[in-house]
Amino acid sequence: MKQFLNDRLLLDGVMAHLRKPLPKHINLLFSLGSLAMFLLLLQAATGAFLALSYSPSPDHAYNAVNYINDEVPFGKFVRGLHHWGASAMVIIVFLHILRVVLYGSYKAPRELTWVVGVLLLLVTLGFGFTGYLLPWDEKAYWATVVGIEISSAAPVLGDVVAKIMRGGAEVGAVTLSRFYALHTIWLPWLAFGLVGLHLFLVRFYGSSGTPKNTPEDMETGKPFYPDQVFEDVVGMLILFVILACAALFAPVPLEDVADPTNADYDPRPEWYFLFLFQLLKYFQGPFEILGTFVIPTVGMLLLLFLPFLDRSERKVLWKRPIAMTVTSICVVTIVGLTILGATAPKLETQEEAQPADEVQQVTPPDTETTDIDEEEDVFDFQLTEEEIEGAREVGEDSQ
Amino acid sequence: MSKEGRRSFLQIAIACIGGLMSLAAGIPLIGFAISPAWKKGESQWVDVGTVDRLKNSRFKKVNYTFTAKDGWVKATKKRSVYVTDAGNGAWSVFSRTCSHLGCLVRWDESKESFLCPCHGAVFDKTGAVVAGPPPRPLQKLEVKVENGLLYVKEA
Repeated sequence: MKQFLNDRLLLDGVMAHLRKPLPKHINLLFSLGSLAMFLLLLQAATGAFLALSYSPSPDHAYNAVNYINDEVPFGKFVRGLHHWGASAMVIIVFLHILRVVLYGSYKAPRELTWVVGVLLLLVTLGFGFTGYLLPWDEKAYWATVVGIEISSAAPVLGDVVAKIMRGGAEVGAVTLSRFYALHTIWLPWLAFGLVGLHLFLVRFYGSSGTPKNTPEDMETGKPFYPDQVFEDVVGMLILFVILACAALFAPVPLEDVADPTNADYDPRPEWYFLFLFQLLKYFQGPFEILGTFVIPTVGMLLLLFLPFLDRSERKVLWKRPIAMTVTSICVVTIVGLTILGATAPKLETQEEAQPADEVQQVTPPDTETTDIDEEEDVFDFQLTEEEIEGAREVGEDSQ
Repeated sequence: MSKEGRRSFLQIAIACIGGLMSLAAGIPLIGFAISPAWKKGESQWVDVGTVDRLKNSRFKKVNYTFTAKDGWVKATKKRSVYVTDAGNGAWSVFSRTCSHLGCLVRWDESKESFLCPCHGAVFDKTGAVVAGPPPRPLQKLEVKVENGLLYVKEA
């Protein structure tokens, strides 16, 4: 049997390739890429099972997530793994990119490996953005409203792009359906395609090694399999234990169901978009576009084309003062803005502190000028009890 | 035809056939995906209450719902506005949606301003931007009064 498989799948050749030695001085930071891939697989697995009990419609999405949480055996745990796994993935991908920048691993001949890696970062953020609308709670709704509005600030096509993302003029049933399709079909296909290409390029050009590697060191280190793979697997185990503990002991928040009229809610995105959210506070009036479009776009383009902008062959960090300075400023800015965004005080207004009485008044549908047959409800927080009762009677009479 | 010429022809033919099929499938697929961007919504007048009850020189917060088509569903949409009456029948109805990124603004009586909880935008009582990032004033909705009811136009 072994011989049969070997003849057809060329297993000996594959194993010989996997046993090829890595460069010397490979350290734990070189496991970050494997950890990112592990997290992608974990997200795919947990997401596939969550989809069994989820319904992407505004009428059912919130209840479906509650059902997963409260009634499906291990539902809370699986959702917890998926939720915390998403955060872990952003952290690991960020650290992986930081390692590549610090070691100068993006330099020739690995430019395309880098470009594909940055595209994978965008896909990861895309997973995050499309994923947190799915529970259809307050955070999901408002973070998506704000996120899509940011894209609408782009010149010329911004409004069109926002409408395409929403599937209409506002966040609703079509938006949820689109985000679900993006999150579960489009982005996974894209991610696995890009991961395949990334892995092919990594194996084709071999590991870049550390900056202190000499050309003689490049193929004299430990073999990839089993030595490096073992270290990667231990890292995956540690990461999984951390995520499992988080899923067990740190419940995933589920806020109230999305309410487009709830002005008491202070919209905040997931922590990994907080830096962008905070950044927008500093650009006012005509400069707004700097925060919403110019800085994020230029930043992402610079990141994408970094290997073509920095063409020096030097890899040792202290011989690359510009790279070190720019990287430090970026990291400090992103971390600083995230902290500022997380600790920003919530808005207190005098009016909102007052209790709001609400009343429903149903008015006759024939007062409308369109042919849609529906009822309108009016809520007014300043009405007295008597007025509320009176209005209810009016509504009942009109039906 | 030489072998090389024949092979060049085959390469061009493969590219043409592939390109044609991609266009034939791609144009409708892209149209399918981006068509909502050009779809016009139906506008309608929605009553937000009786004039007598809403008459007030200060801003009243009014939440209302109406039915509109959202894709394949007839959805109940929720809206929140601030209503004020200048006293001479000139109604002002402001959308609570911040013109910056869509968060809901709150009227602060002591500051006589609309405040946005997201990025610190401040609008005065005419809806004009006083501070913060919004590029435009608050949206003022079109209104009409009929049979003692105040209507706003929902686009």
